[in-house]
Amino acid sequence: MRLERRLWQALGMALLAAVAFLWATPFLWTLVAAFRPEGAGSARMASLMPDTPQTLENIRNALESGAFGLYYVNTFIVVVGVLAVQCVTVSLAGYAFARLRFPGRDVLFYVFLMQLMLVPPALIVPNLRTIVDLGLYDTLPGAMAPYFASAFGTFLMRQTFLALPRDFEEAAAIDGAPWWAIVWYVLLPMAQPGLVAFAIVSVTAHWNEFLWPLMVINDPAKHTLTIGLAAFTRGAEGGKEWGVLAAGTLLVMAPLAVVFVAFQRRFVDSFVFSGVKG
Amino acid sequence: MSAISRLAIGALALSFALPAAAQTKIDFFFPVPVEGKLAREMTRLVKSYNESQKEVEVTAVYTGGYDDTKLKAQAAAKAGKPPAVVLMSANFNVDLKLSGDIQSLEPMLKADGATRDAFLADFWPALHANAMVEGELYSVPFHNSTPLLYYNVDHFKEAGLDPAKPPRTWAELADAAKKLTKRDGDKVERYGFTMPAGYDYLGWLMEALTLSNGGRYFNEEYGGEVYYDTASMLGAARFLEDLIFKHKVMAQGVVEAGGVSTSFFAGKASMMLLSTGSLSFIRENMKAPYEVAFVPKNVRNAVPIGGASLVMFNGQSEDSKKAGWKFIKWLSSADTLGGWSRFTGYFSPRKSAYDTAEMKAFIAKNPDAKVALEQLPYAKPWFATYQTVAVRKALEDEIQAMMNGKKKADELMRPYVEQTALKLPQ
Amino acid sequence: MSLAGTTGILEGVDRGPVVVPRRRPRRRSYLPYALLAPSLLFLGLFTYLPVVRVIVESLYDHPHGTGAVTATFVGLGNYTKVLADPAFRQAALNNLVYALGTLIPTLALALAFALAVQRSSRFSAVLRTVFFFPSLVPLVAAASLFFFIFLPGIGLLDYYLAKIGVSGPNWLGDSDIALWSVIGLTVWKNAGYYMLFYIAGLQNIPRDTIEAALIDGANAWQRLRYVILPALLPTTSFVVVIALINLLTSVDHVIVLTRGGPSNATNLLLYYIFQAAHENFEIGKAAAATLLSVVVLLAISLASMRIMSRGSHHEA
Repeated sequence: MRLERRLWQALGMALLAAVAFLWATPFLWTLVAAFRPEGAGSARMASLMPDTPQTLENIRNALESGAFGLYYVNTFIVVVGVLAVQCVTVSLAGYAFARLRFPGRDVLFYVFLMQLMLVPPALIVPNLRTIVDLGLYDTLPGAMAPYFASAFGTFLMRQTFLALPRDFEEAAAIDGAPWWAIVWYVLLPMAQPGLVAFAIVSVTAHWNEFLWPLMVINDPAKHTLTIGLAAFTRGAEGGKEWGVLAAGTLLVMAPLAVVFVAFQRRFVDSFVFSGVKG
Repeated sequence: MSAISRLAIGALALSFALPAAAQTKIDFFFPVPVEGKLAREMTRLVKSYNESQKEVEVTAVYTGGYDDTKLKAQAAAKAGKPPAVVLMSANFNVDLKLSGDIQSLEPMLKADGATRDAFLADFWPALHANAMVEGELYSVPFHNSTPLLYYNVDHFKEAGLDPAKPPRTWAELADAAKKLTKRDGDKVERYGFTMPAGYDYLGWLMEALTLSNGGRYFNEEYGGEVYYDTASMLGAARFLEDLIFKHKVMAQGVVEAGGVSTSFFAGKASMMLLSTGSLSFIRENMKAPYEVAFVPKNVRNAVPIGGASLVMFNGQSEDSKKAGWKFIKWLSSADTLGGWSRFTGYFSPRKSAYDTAEMKAFIAKNPDAKVALEQLPYAKPWFATYQTVAVRKALEDEIQAMMNGKKKADELMRPYVEQTALKLPQ
Repeated sequence: MSLAGTTGILEGVDRGPVVVPRRRPRRRSYLPYALLAPSLLFLGLFTYLPVVRVIVESLYDHPHGTGAVTATFVGLGNYTKVLADPAFRQAALNNLVYALGTLIPTLALALAFALAVQRSSRFSAVLRTVFFFPSLVPLVAAASLFFFIFLPGIGLLDYYLAKIGVSGPNWLGDSDIALWSVIGLTVWKNAGYYMLFYIAGLQNIPRDTIEAALIDGANAWQRLRYVILPALLPTTSFVVVIALINLLTSVDHVIVLTRGGPSNATNLLLYYIFQAAHENFEIGKAAAATLLSVVVLLAISLASMRIMSRGSHHEA
């Protein structure tokens, strides 16, 4: 019985390792191909076995093609900027919908929900016009502004607030605390799991964002990572330099991988144990 | 007094008049045909231009492929921020002129005291049609191409073909492809022939095949007419259908350009149709010996022009118009064009670029660069219609369906003729 | 709890306001609107202003070009045109296949991964990293990697399939397979992301519930079916909502990999709209298509929102 169970366990582990290997192959290939000579393609281009001799040529070309440090900084500014503003708008609106009763509340709530599906890629031209009118064309705030209000975040915060017990607020209200103090000192600390979940969704979304920044930003000094990467991936006629593409992707991924592996435990644990719920 | 010296004096006067002369900043949007490398080279070129003079500062903005560049430039224009200069696929001029996005370059020529004929005289005659819309100059050719047949010399020898005698007709092409295709039971180890069939590329190559079949793709005089249901076009489609399904010497389905060149490098395909614009890329990366040849003909030798030209968007201030034109003239000078041509493989649109010692030495060393020039006398204008992208896609969707075995060549297009019945604004 | 009626998602609010101090009654009327103002400002600028523009545009036939201003009123003409367009109908169908084809395997894998790596061990930590990492790679970058992976004959997939004697299809060039290849990429990219939410959900299941099931002699499958899955319902509904939004609003990979081809086989609604608006400048048609898809998408998101609020009430 025990033996059988161990056998099953080992089998499960092996299966899991195999799936994980499969999952990682795109990255393994990137790593190998970034250092492979004949970057444009050969019959063995797909092999996961590293070649000898290795070359740094691809990395050098990729570094010449883009200022990756700058792209990182810009992307960071956009992601953090969007999140910071969102945290304010979303907490306030979520609180209003969860705790206050006022005429037009239901209608306004639907007004928010509409936004879920109206993403900037579908509204590029009218949104570009607005951004130009606001004088934000070709600026990083221009790349962020359409996301400052978030229906999803508002909904999530409203749900989070609704699930919180009201005793503390009532006590604070009786003590004469103003609404902002109640939100700031009582509700938000308890709503942290909701905020964390929202932050993760928001950050991943804007980290990945491509079309809208591509449209808003011209100045190469303001490019984000995705736009910088597009320099390797979108050509008009002819060839692909796979080696350089792999090298460019590697340059984007490597710092992430280092940070993630270093903080993996803490990141996942804090996410998990902050008790993110639905 | 020549235009150049007049301009120089003007510039000199201007720089005296305004000692702290305000620099005019302009945006230049450019796509590149081969990823990475050419974007780096273009950025380098623009930087050297900015360092060479004080009046104009150009910001080079890499904008992806040809279609992306059109999209981004038009979106910017609609939002009220048109780029001064754009390197635009040479067949978009008609569409961009009709939509009111680009401006005629005639006033700039006039200001320089030049005539259109004198200006165009140094450009290859085959390029004039795509540079003009309704008789006026709207763009300056920058890099141009035609399709070429690339073939692997080792494979030719191995299959008992003479590498000095590439296929010159469709029949010879099919024959050679049959000999070059290597099979292992049902599996194909190596295809005799391949060509890019993704959007954009496919339309261009279909024009090449239709022209070679004695047909026309569009009405050169009227941007609202295409010939998608003609016998010559359907004949070209049938030829592809035979290569894929009858002779089985070409892979079924669509392969994008990146896949085509990679399979040529890897020896998985022996012949391919690809742009001259990829010549340097092929030369640098192909390990086995290869040769290039004319696109095989059925009825006549004829190929479409490809490549890109410099256009100026409407809605510029006088200063940025002047700055943009100045930059265009520098970019399209014989020296710049010659250097860019050697770097990329595109042929230079200026004849005089071939008179320089550097160019002569280069061609002597790389005879494959000559083939595109030799094919030039057979070149025809690239299709340039109203709503080029949508009209092109209508044909491409049909051909792709055929390449996937979803439709027979004989059933193609007819329902689409009505859909693409175009209404030109009167 | 009542979920009937259209205001089901608002249910739960009616326990009444508590915070507004009675001493300052005049604040009561303005405060909620003041709290909503920042959000409403941005919603107005970047959601409703453009939508109004789009609605107006959808009723007109726009002559091609930026210069022309003489649009003619055509009523619902653009809507009938869009509905009659086979490319639109195919995009809608593709979107449905894409959404379901992605959602189901993604959720199943996310849950399986979560169950496999929830324990805190070094091995699990490595696996979590591996599974999660794809979601950190920007979609454009992932798409260009997969362009190589899917390369016919030479790419990663075909190269290794050939080693075991299988000759792969033309992954992106075959109109029957291309959409599934795009789905494959999306599953790979997202499964690890949703895994995180499931790990969190699993942590929240009280240990004694599972132990009770163990004592009752429930086997692994029964524990999963009758204890774990029901307990994970709130997580699942949350993940379904973000996954749906994610699926319906991203097209970067389509733009990089196939541009909707071959023959519209991978064209999704958002990309169709994108093409109509930006490639073809059929502004009226794009506007009509936008509104048509928004209506459908809105219905989906309202439905899933309701599922989600039901989910969180389960827990509350």
